[in-house]
Amino acid sequence: MSSKRHSILPPAPSGPKPPVHFSSSITIADSAVLTGTHSIAIHGESVVHPRARLDSLAGRITVGRRCVVHERATLGAVGVSGRVAESGAAVTLADYVTVEVGAAVEAGDTVIGEGTVVGVGAKVGAGAVIGKHCTLTPHTEIAAGEVLPDYTVVYSNGMRRTDKRGMAELKNKGLARQIDVLRRIIPSNPGKFA
Amino acid sequence: MSSRRAPRGEYIETETGNKVARKATLLGTQNIMLGGKTVIQPEVLIRGDLIRTIQASTQSGAASNNTAVSIGRYCFLSRGCCLRPPGRLYKGAFTFMPLRMGDHVFVGPGSVVQAASIGSHVHIGTNVVVGEFAIIKDYVRILDGTVVPPNMVIPSFSIVAGQPARLIGEVPEGGHEAFELRGLYKTVGNNPQPAS
Repeated sequence: MSSKRHSILPPAPSGPKPPVHFSSSITIADSAVLTGTHSIAIHGESVVHPRARLDSLAGRITVGRRCVVHERATLGAVGVSGRVAESGAAVTLADYVTVEVGAAVEAGDTVIGEGTVVGVGAKVGAGAVIGKHCTLTPHTEIAAGEVLPDYTVVYSNGMRRTDKRGMAELKNKGLARQIDVLRRIIPSNPGKFA
Repeated sequence: MSSRRAPRGEYIETETGNKVARKATLLGTQNIMLGGKTVIQPEVLIRGDLIRTIQASTQSGAASNNTAVSIGRYCFLSRGCCLRPPGRLYKGAFTFMPLRMGDHVFVGPGSVVQAASIGSHVHIGTNVVVGEFAIIKDYVRILDGTVVPPNMVIPSFSIVAGQPARLIGEVPEGGHEAFELRGLYKTVGNNPQPAS
């Protein structure tokens, strides 16, 4: 007898299975959740941690190259406004974007620029456009439709400043190193979602 | 179905007294050390799979230690909290570092902890974020909604709050008994006792 006990019930249906376009070099954990009806595209060398949630019910989801989506993060959840994508693109992440634990990016033409970090538990409202190399510190909330210029740091309940350290290139390199390690330690199973 | 087995409780109770909820997610269980009498509530997520990929030095013991998360005795991990080892660049390569937690540590619901070390008798409130490589010493109280920035060192007997976290006070004389979690440990599990 096997040591693991399996339920005799059929697995609960977890919503529609979206069409996916995966690059061959991505790492996606088995327990990540992909639901919705529109397509989900994940480009080269991106990492999706276990229990991350990508929901394409409101429109297309595009994840750029070398992005990291941490556990419990949600991309494409329909927010309180109930807004869905007008152009068909619900959430677009450019390259080198990190979405940390429990952060939520709402659907509805939301764009997050290159090198941006969405901190732990942060919320990006529907239709917000975040510039390049921004940092949203933990628990920040970006209102729906807001436009954030490049290199903005949002901290301490909505205070803003501009990041003048010139660290963007280094941060991208660091992220690439992180991805190298994550690819080794997170078992990837892209076939499950195809 | 008839079964002679006792009904399955909400918690798995181990020989060392750990109470682990069946609905908790523990990834990389072989890299998670529980000291005993620790409560892990449902929907808790512990990332034991994020192990150290570079060993500090080869001379410090031949057997490589892969522990990613180590938790002491009488810790209490509330519903929905998340423990994950911090990661950084070390000698030009990225590696995760172990997360160490002492005894009698309370982690509130929805909190995310990425500290390097947490001492003993620490109370972390609801929806707190502890940034990467933060060091929290003994007898520290972190109030609800605090964001502890990465690399912050919180000295013993302090009370911190705010976004980012600031020292707002000290634990009063004799106030350290409030950190005791033995009573709380008894109130959860498959046959919980009322709080005394």
